Amino acid sequence: MSLRAVSGTFARRKLIWAGLAAVAVVFLAILPFFYDVHKGQFGVFLFLVFIYGIVAQGWNLVGGYTGQISLGQNAFFGLGAFTMALLWFWDVTKTGYYFDPLLLVLSGVTPAILAVLVGTPLLSRLRGDYFAFGTLGMGMIVTVLFLNGGDFTGGAEGKLLIKKMPEGVVFNLRTHYWVALLVAVLATLVVYILTTSRVGLALRAIREDEVSAASHGVHVLKYKVLAFAVAAAMAGVAGGIYGYYLLQVTPSNVFTQNWLFYPILMVVLGGTGTLMGPWIGAFLIYAMAWYADLYIPGYHPIFSGVIIILVMLFLPGGIMGLAEKRPGRRSRGSAAP
Amino acid sequence: MGSLAQVLINGILLGSMYGIAAAGLSLIFGTMRIIFLAQGAMIVFFAFVCYWLFVKVSIDPYLSLLIVVPFAFLVGLGLFYTLFRKAVALEDKNVSLLIAVGLMYLIENAILKVWSATPRGLDISYSGATLVFWGLRVSWLRLALLGLALVSAGVVFVFLKKTRVGTAVRAASEDLEATKLQGINSLWVCAISFAIGIGLAGVAGVGLATVYSFDYQFGFVFSIKALVALALGGIGNVFGALAGGILLGIIENLAAYYVGIAWIEIVSYGVFMLVLIFLPQGLFGRRGLVKKV
Repeated sequence: MSLRAVSGTFARRKLIWAGLAAVAVVFLAILPFFYDVHKGQFGVFLFLVFIYGIVAQGWNLVGGYTGQISLGQNAFFGLGAFTMALLWFWDVTKTGYYFDPLLLVLSGVTPAILAVLVGTPLLSRLRGDYFAFGTLGMGMIVTVLFLNGGDFTGGAEGKLLIKKMPEGVVFNLRTHYWVALLVAVLATLVVYILTTSRVGLALRAIREDEVSAASHGVHVLKYKVLAFAVAAAMAGVAGGIYGYYLLQVTPSNVFTQNWLFYPILMVVLGGTGTLMGPWIGAFLIYAMAWYADLYIPGYHPIFSGVIIILVMLFLPGGIMGLAEKRPGRRSRGSAAP
Repeated sequence: MGSLAQVLINGILLGSMYGIAAAGLSLIFGTMRIIFLAQGAMIVFFAFVCYWLFVKVSIDPYLSLLIVVPFAFLVGLGLFYTLFRKAVALEDKNVSLLIAVGLMYLIENAILKVWSATPRGLDISYSGATLVFWGLRVSWLRLALLGLALVSAGVVFVFLKKTRVGTAVRAASEDLEATKLQGINSLWVCAISFAIGIGLAGVAGVGLATVYSFDYQFGFVFSIKALVALALGGIGNVFGALAGGILLGIIENLAAYYVGIAWIEIVSYGVFMLVLIFLPQGLFGRRGLVKKV
């Protein structure tokens, strides 16, 4: 990551960020060796930050870099979790199942397929708000389908996966922690590679001016669907890992509005269209939610509502927006003259 | 035959609720270009206000319209000037959208804290009164709901067509930039249409309180139902939104009758997706509008 930054135009800021990120990742990776993430509450906290952050990073790609507001990430998250849970429960692929790489990949593939199916008509015919409407409707449909799935999906109770745990395997959050961290790093790398390549240029061109991008030979639909599908896959894999943590995937757990709105809030607080923004946002927002839940239980959703409003009123450009106020760059989100 | 007619009538009456909510959503969308996701939460909030007026000071729900609707209008103005004043000027619509989301969380959970999670409903002395004709039974309260929807849509329609501010609102929903060039105070126009939208949420809230039982969670689904009605009817037309709502009510009741209650949502959101994909201008909307949006 840092090598790429150096080989490009000399960008000190990029190098600093890459260094900080590398230090953070190494620290987080070796943390379980001297801190028991399974017993300590901080382990659960970090694990959930990773999960939220992966979903947020995906939304960042489609909402931040490409400018298409998706309101269906909770559907992809839940679909990923259910793909994992149902393949495991019904013993479909006959592989390891507990942290089975194949299942995790499939829990990303299924939402991506749905994203292509839903995204192609929505993104080709309509623009902007209608995409948001459509993804919202898709989320509701998927949720109700799983609620009404009868014996196959387990309805409102979902499927109990604890009984399916293989012999001799102990539930230890350490595994979840490392897998989530690995996926978080991979997701960030994917976004980095996509956005620094030709694809990223196309995505940004689409965000700034769709018509102009099209007239410069950018295949607008292809790139929008690509970003949407990659975002869906990320949400899905995060859902799959979260399913291994829950061990009982129910529609009310994995399709809740939290998996839709918290990641968006994280991206916006951190800074839309920046690589590290979603992580800063994920850490801060989840820390706020966590401590509010500890000290003012019951009031914490009210608290999150207030936080969303305050951030939007006073810091619409996000935290990265504060750091990147360079002259000549249009600061996104500041008031129009 | 009789039961089908009954289903249709129930659908129309249920749909008039969606219609009022959709008309409010349409006004807000027209000028501010955001999906005001907190609309449903606002409706539930005003339903609770109506509930309190009935329980604590025993004011008849229809009389409380005189209190709730002006109150809602003022709440709308206040919310606009405290929360949305800066955000509407931004190119980035995420900001307004997320403020609406924050407001939704705030209202929903404040309702939960104040009124608890128990579903409430009004026990009005005349709530059992039904009109019977040709073997069909129609509750007077639900009929009043349809009347309420028609009257409020009519009032908003006249306001938009006949007053100067209304004309400005229509102009702003055509093209906000050009409105500014004509010397119209676009902020005030947005504020007025937002306040009327919230005022319509007040009407819908009272309507909700008189007929249905409601709790704090009802809001989000209601917002989305209003959005479906809006997409069906087409944006930029108050009666279109009302018609879209009524159509959605009919579709839902038909789905409940023929397919089963558990599948209502699938049918209505399925229709929503199909409309968005194949008929983006809605049934009664103008064709040109979607391209500009």
